Amino acid sequence: MFRLRSAFPTRISASLALAVAGFAAATTVASAQDVIRFGAPLPITGPLAPEAVKQQQGYDLWAEQANKAGGINVGGKKYKVEIVYSDYQSNTPRSVQTTEQMITQEKVNFMFGPFGSGAAKAASTIAEKYKMPMLAATASSVQVYDQNYKYLFGTFTPNDTLTTPLTKLVKAKATDVKKVAILARNDLFPLAIAQEMEKSAKENGLEVVYFEKYAINTLDHSATLSQIKSLAPQWIFVTGYTNDLLLVRKQMADQQIKAGVVTMIAGPAYQEFIDSAGPNAENISSASWWHPAEKYDGKDIFGSTANFVKLFRDKYKAEPDYAHASAAVCGALFQMAIEKAGSLDRDKVRDELAKMDVVTFWGPVKFGANGQINSLEPPVFQIQGGKPIVLFPDAIKQGDFKLGVN
Amino acid sequence: MLAIQVLINALVLGCLYACIAIGFSLVWGVLNVINLIHGSFIVLGAYLAWGAYNSLGLSPWYSLLIAAPAFFVFGYVLQRILLNRVITAPVLVTLTLTFGLDLILNNAMIYYFKADYRKLILNPPTGSISIFDVVVPIDRLIATGAALFLTFLLYLLLRRSKVGRAIVAVRLDRDAAVLMGVDVKSIYAVAFGLGAALAGCAGVLMALIFPISPLTSSAYLGKAFVVCVLGGLGSVSGALAGGLLLALVEGIGSVYLGPAHAVTLSFVLLIVFLIVRPQGLLGRKGFE
Repeated sequence: MFRLRSAFPTRISASLALAVAGFAAATTVASAQDVIRFGAPLPITGPLAPEAVKQQQGYDLWAEQANKAGGINVGGKKYKVEIVYSDYQSNTPRSVQTTEQMITQEKVNFMFGPFGSGAAKAASTIAEKYKMPMLAATASSVQVYDQNYKYLFGTFTPNDTLTTPLTKLVKAKATDVKKVAILARNDLFPLAIAQEMEKSAKENGLEVVYFEKYAINTLDHSATLSQIKSLAPQWIFVTGYTNDLLLVRKQMADQQIKAGVVTMIAGPAYQEFIDSAGPNAENISSASWWHPAEKYDGKDIFGSTANFVKLFRDKYKAEPDYAHASAAVCGALFQMAIEKAGSLDRDKVRDELAKMDVVTFWGPVKFGANGQINSLEPPVFQIQGGKPIVLFPDAIKQGDFKLGVN
Repeated sequence: MLAIQVLINALVLGCLYACIAIGFSLVWGVLNVINLIHGSFIVLGAYLAWGAYNSLGLSPWYSLLIAAPAFFVFGYVLQRILLNRVITAPVLVTLTLTFGLDLILNNAMIYYFKADYRKLILNPPTGSISIFDVVVPIDRLIATGAALFLTFLLYLLLRRSKVGRAIVAVRLDRDAAVLMGVDVKSIYAVAFGLGAALAGCAGVLMALIFPISPLTSSAYLGKAFVVCVLGGLGSVSGALAGGLLLALVEGIGSVYLGPAHAVTLSFVLLIVFLIVRPQGLLGRKGFE
């Protein structure tokens, strides 16, 4: 008796639960049909947080534009864009976990890569395992792409495309530059670019009189800079992130270190570097993958570079830099590939990305066999009068190279 | 000439390191609390100097006069309301509490100031003094002078004032101090307030030299920790000696072994001290 009485309500509740679950699943399916979910693992907290904010702003601007236009057109049906963010706390192993979680639990349709070369390389292994197309907005090192993964694509050219034009420019404009001192943050990207610089300097007949790495979180560079000063190089090349470069520049001024050419990568492209360094930013040269002064007429949702800059300024009341632009173009590229494929099928979208050959506000986009962009000509620029002035390529040149950093 | 320059750099930097560490050492020495909020206090002090200079045109020297009492009150209240509740608990409990408080303060700073880097740029710039080829930046010299002055002031306070003697007494023997009529809870709060005030002032001075960001708090905390262990807890002069030793090792290490090894070298030194001389260079039982 007791059993019968108890079994009845259990059956009812089980059926109810099933019905509710079925309804929930149906609504999930229905909403999943209306949106395309993009996974974006970012270091929203921790030391890389400033970079995460830039990427997030780029993705958000693209998503906003895509949704304003009604969404992404997939075979005649419009899908809204939804970006799923996740904070991996500037911890590379966690970026791998987050990527896997997004693919398996969050059921995202496509993935953006985490910040920087190290995390992008680590996370790309997961994307490859699940055959998930991944666009990396901020990974430049060749080592990320030489795994020859099929599903990984990146919008940064290799590091030597930054250092080679820079060296050629210095060689042409500053003939008295014979000795170069290179100081690099002991971190994947800054060190890789410093090594490219060393190679490029040697190939152009310059003598590398100093090549040293400094540890992450170094608070003082005065002893190192005293040593560099004693070697009297005409070109001082420093790599690191904004904090490192501000610190080095201030301590160079403190020690009255002067040089014909001072190059810093990758801070001067950011407005906060120029604001924080003040007069000390003057004549610092640098190179990056994109600059707001570029003039491309693109086929992407943003159209021209000028339109992208305008939209960015309107939304964030600030000047965009290459990190913002790269994130936005990754979204725009996904949109074009999906629309061309006419499907959300990952393999079809992947194939469209692989054969892409298009001009965007970012520049011409074509990926090499390894997935890394090979069509872009990154600009060289210099801070003049508190503003970045493009020196190369000639097509977008805004001024001439000025010698002397005091 | 390079050797003289490196030596002078190290002397100046050593005083700054001592300034970072002195408040941390005081709190650790007297309260037996490893204060993990110390780095964030320093960064907050730096923001105070930056904000006062940029929005009110206040020179950092005036900011020092604001920072000292403001941080003292902040530290005093924090100790009275929160830390006092766990002061007699095992060290892990106080460590966890200060870690939690640091997370709150640090994230609040990230929220309000963003994670971007800022720099206090004095106009006109202070410039540098050069004698032959040796150059010393004036802002560092001034910061060094201020750091030494603060250290001396603390030394005087602990040696000559009634409250200072009470702090030393509590450090030496808490129970005996109670029997002598010392209000231990107040003394703990005063010591913590003094530690916070010193951190705030150190922040104002650091703003003249280093870029400001909430993310730099861990670097300051790390330095304070190493300086305390090298110099020895319970000694004002120990913090100075520890700072100088650390700066010298880093400076010489970065010239002869490369800057990448300077930090490693300082941590090797830390381990050696912990094994061979755990009391540090000048460590004593009482804080004086």
